[in-house]
Amino acid sequence: MEFVIQIGGMTFQVHPSIVNWLLLCVVLAIFFIVAGNKIKKADPTKPPKGFVLVCEYLVNLSTGIVSGNLKSRTRLYLPFFGTLIFLMAPSNLLGLIGLQPPTSNLSVNVTLALMMFLLIQFVGLKEKGAIGRWKELTDPFILFLPMNLLGDLALPVSLSLRLFGNLLAGTIITTLVYTLMKLVMPLGVLGFSFTPFLHAYFDIFSGLIQTYIFFTLASFFLSESYADEEE
Amino acid sequence: MAEFNEFFVKGMALLGAGIAMIAGLGPGIGQGIAASKGAEAVGRNPEAASKVRSIMVLGIAMAETTGIYALIVALLLIFLKG
Repeated sequence: MEFVIQIGGMTFQVHPSIVNWLLLCVVLAIFFIVAGNKIKKADPTKPPKGFVLVCEYLVNLSTGIVSGNLKSRTRLYLPFFGTLIFLMAPSNLLGLIGLQPPTSNLSVNVTLALMMFLLIQFVGLKEKGAIGRWKELTDPFILFLPMNLLGDLALPVSLSLRLFGNLLAGTIITTLVYTLMKLVMPLGVLGFSFTPFLHAYFDIFSGLIQTYIFFTLASFFLSESYADEEE
Repeated sequence: MAEFNEFFVKGMALLGAGIAMIAGLGPGIGQGIAASKGAEAVGRNPEAASKVRSIMVLGIAMAETTGIYALIVALLLIFLKG
C-alpha cells in the first residue's frame, strides 16, 4: 500500500507506515469529534455511563501517566500529552491487525522525540532565561559544557531509538514467522498456535509499556526544566 | 588474505552483526537484578505490590535501552550491508 505522489518534477514515495499514520489520524479525529459531542450533551451532575464513561476512563489513564511528574501543571500540558498518548498507543498496537505500525518508522519516532525536545528546551529558556540556561550548562565550570550539552541531546536520541528499536524488532520477528508459516503452508497452520503469544508480547505488552515510558520520561524532563520551586 | 570484494564486506557485516549482539548480556543481567530487588521489596511489604510493580517495570524498560541500541546496530548491518 505504497503511494507515489508526483508534484512537479519530483516523485515522493509514501511508505506504508506513514499511510497507516494518516489513517490512524483520520479514525481518531472521527472518534474525538463524536466523543466531544457526546460529552457536551452529557449531564455533569449524574454519573457517566456508556461511551462517556469510557472516555473518562481514558482521560484518567493519560492523566495518571503524566500527573506524577507535572504536579501542578498537569492541566496545562494534558492536551498535548493526552493527544499524543492516544495517537501512540493505537499506533503501537496496529501490528495486531497486520498493518505496519507507524512507530516502526524512524521518521515518525524522531519527529515525536524532536517535538518533546523542542518543548523542553523552549520551556527551559522561557522559565530560566538564557542566562540561567547558560549557568546550568556550564554547571561546575565551563569545560563541562560539551558533556552537559550531550546529556541534553541524549534525551531525544534515547526516546526515539528506544521506541523504534522495540517496534521494529517486533515487526521483523512477526514478519519472519509469518513468512516461514507461508513457506511451509499445509504444515504452517500449526504456527497459529504460538503467534498469539508473539503478538501478546511484542504488540500489546511492549507497545503499551513503551508508550508509558516515553511519556513518563518526557514529562519528567519537562518538570525538570521548570525552576524547581516545590522543594 | 582474501580479496576485498563485496562478498567479503557482506560476510564481515554479518559477522559484525553477530558480535554486536553480545551487548545483550547487559540488559539481561541488569533486568534480572532489578526484578530480584522488586521481588524482595514485595516480599518485605506485600501491600505496596502495585507501586513496586510500576517502578520496577519503569526501571526494567529503561535498562533495556542499551540492548535495543545494539539491536539497531545489528539490524542496520544486516539489512544495509549484508
